[in-house]
Amino acid sequence: MTTTLAPSLPPAASPRTRRRRRVDKKTLGGLVIGVLGLVDIVGFGLEARSGDARLGLTLAGASVHLSPLKLPPGPTAIVAGVITLVLAALWLRAELGKLARRAVIVGSGMLFMLSFLCWASSGKTMSLVGLLQSSVDRSIPIVLGALAGCLCERAGVVNIAIEGQLLFGAFAGAMVASASHSLYLGLVAAALAGALLGLILALFAIRYAVNQIVVGVVLNVLATGLTGYLYDRVLVKYQNTLNSPAVFSRISIPLLSKIPIVGPVLFDSSIFLYLTYVILVAVQIGLFRTRWGLRVRAVGEHPVAAETVGIRVLGIRYANVMLGGLVAGIGGAYLTIGSVGPFGKNVSSGKGFIALAAVIFGRWTPIGAMFGALLFGFADAVQNILSVLGTSIPSDFLLMIPYVATIVVVAGMVGRVRPPKADGQPYVKS
Amino acid sequence: MTRWTKTAAVALVTVLVVAACSKSKTTTTSPTTKAPAGGTTTTGPKSTGTLTACMVTDTGGIDDRSFNASSYQGLTDAKAADPNVTPKYLQSTAQSDYVPNINSLIQQKCGIVVTVGFLMGDSTQAAAKANPTQNFAIVDYSYSPSLPNVKALVFNTAEAGFLGGYLAAGMSKTGSVATFGGIKLPTVTIYMDGYAEGVAYYNTKHSTKVQVLGWDEKTQNGTFTGDFTDQGKGKNVTQTFIQQGADIIFPVAGNVGLGAAAAVQQNGNSVHMLWVDTDGCVSAPQYCALFVSSVEKGIAVSVKQAVLDAANGTFTGGNYIGRLANDGVGLAPFHNFDSQVPAALKTEIEQAKTDIIAGNIKITSPSQPTS
Repeated sequence: MTTTLAPSLPPAASPRTRRRRRVDKKTLGGLVIGVLGLVDIVGFGLEARSGDARLGLTLAGASVHLSPLKLPPGPTAIVAGVITLVLAALWLRAELGKLARRAVIVGSGMLFMLSFLCWASSGKTMSLVGLLQSSVDRSIPIVLGALAGCLCERAGVVNIAIEGQLLFGAFAGAMVASASHSLYLGLVAAALAGALLGLILALFAIRYAVNQIVVGVVLNVLATGLTGYLYDRVLVKYQNTLNSPAVFSRISIPLLSKIPIVGPVLFDSSIFLYLTYVILVAVQIGLFRTRWGLRVRAVGEHPVAAETVGIRVLGIRYANVMLGGLVAGIGGAYLTIGSVGPFGKNVSSGKGFIALAAVIFGRWTPIGAMFGALLFGFADAVQNILSVLGTSIPSDFLLMIPYVATIVVVAGMVGRVRPPKADGQPYVKS
Repeated sequence: MTRWTKTAAVALVTVLVVAACSKSKTTTTSPTTKAPAGGTTTTGPKSTGTLTACMVTDTGGIDDRSFNASSYQGLTDAKAADPNVTPKYLQSTAQSDYVPNINSLIQQKCGIVVTVGFLMGDSTQAAAKANPTQNFAIVDYSYSPSLPNVKALVFNTAEAGFLGGYLAAGMSKTGSVATFGGIKLPTVTIYMDGYAEGVAYYNTKHSTKVQVLGWDEKTQNGTFTGDFTDQGKGKNVTQTFIQQGADIIFPVAGNVGLGAAAAVQQNGNSVHMLWVDTDGCVSAPQYCALFVSSVEKGIAVSVKQAVLDAANGTFTGGNYIGRLANDGVGLAPFHNFDSQVPAALKTEIEQAKTDIIAGNIKITSPSQPTS
């Protein structure tokens, strides 16, 4: 009996128990993959209705037309399940490197999605390109919001106010673009509006050392209230002049946009997608490959040490929080002038909070956060298409899918994450 | 510098407080020209002559381009018909505002208190029972048994949705039409039920197989965006419908429908839509060219009638159900599409309307108001 009690004593983590725990985690992972494989076979394979699932590979009006991919749902799911089971066995038996483990996780997840989609769309046509396109569309503001989060938190300031910055950006973008008849001016105004909210956050969090979570929450409430109020009082009244902006049109990149499947998804979109590429790469390289990034991370990890080697801690924090606001403001502009045009109350609808989750999912790296955002966008697009195809799953549950996926992934798969050490702590010079 | 920022912070906070108060304080001014005739108005329902018609909005606010705005339109229409009516409203910013707002209006000796939205059902009932001589009207909620001093205004929008579905099926070239909702509420799904039934009726009549995406009446399951704010989601849902081949879209989602309009607009002239609740060419004129028609719910007309009844002393309580028969619901004009809708289809829609009124066509939506 004493042995079973041993793990509950914190210091008694002998090398032996630690090893056992790691083995347990490995077994657990293998079991989860195995269950996925079994669900593929039993849930989707044997339960499949007759009729091929047709996955559309081109959009209407595309220059290169591919005929839809026809897959029989039953056999497809069974094959996918068998492959997944083999992967699970591999996971359990072989010592896999980090890269191979990731490949197994991603591979089994994709096989699961494939058999699920085939099951759901048996006897029907489902536009695969449309699904991917709408995943990307839904992800853009979340990626930009998450980049804002990375910029702030890497410098040690927690930014809960992403939601508010998106909303401010959306409002300013729509209003200025509509009043000035210039979409680019609207974009600039949106970025500035986001940065303004960033400045307020910085002032309270850095100068007055107010709890950053509290300031962030208050700023979100401020943004919701202020934009809602101005919408009621100003935008509704002068709708034709102040709230009827145009929308950025699509820009097709020559050649690249002609590539089947990938082209229409990644290279035939509005300026916002390309801006997102640029900002994403710039922030990733900036944070991890430049002197500036090293300084930012030093400030976020250990401000005292940074100060002693001559880095201006507060200056960097101010700059980064405002830069983050700028990026989030652009993400907000996407919600109006990048997508639907006019501003409506609370158009951000919680995307800023999903962006926060994406930051954690990505372990505070821009590329990782992008994958988090894409996962959410994909889950959202999947629930959307499922409801359109008319599955038997009640719509209330379908609407939960993106959020459940986020929770499961952030809580279950990412595991222990380590935020920047000084994240959320005000720095006061002694 | 420190002092400057402190001052700025204080100033900012002050601005916020003022902004917040001016919004949430419910003593909103009435856009009237005449002061309420407090002394001359005798309390309660038997008053004739001058009448203050008061309204409590739901949290959507007076300018929501939807049922609050339509209800207030009813009040101002009543004033236009009878200059002795003075409209006035209080805004609710949270559900906790309902009771204080209603009570405040009762104390101001309103001739009739109009409450908007089924969320206010319980508060209105409580106030009506506590003040048996006060007239009330409530939009989108009905009581069983009915209350003697409350006119409950509900609408069988399935009947109008039926005509919308019939029109959509007749206009579709791809043989596929779509609908989606904001939140799965009976007042939303009733439209979708009617729409699906209209398409089905068209199919039996013309032996066609026009398909409805986004709603299955039998299982009461379909596509929803989950709220009434995320226009981007409305756009994505609509794009998905279009990719799946639908060419007439019917959003039942308030402002989220504007996202649908943005998606429809991007698809050139091959996809069209129907607007909901109000005539889209009036409430969202920038997209008028996309609307084949609108499935209307006559909130303004019925509120106006209730107010005028109160002003003339002919007010009666009980439940009112807006139907095709009493023009409480209906299809809006075709506007730009007037020349594109075939004359035969127009006649058939008229025929369907008469048949519904006569009871030859039975609407089966489970969300229909009864009694």
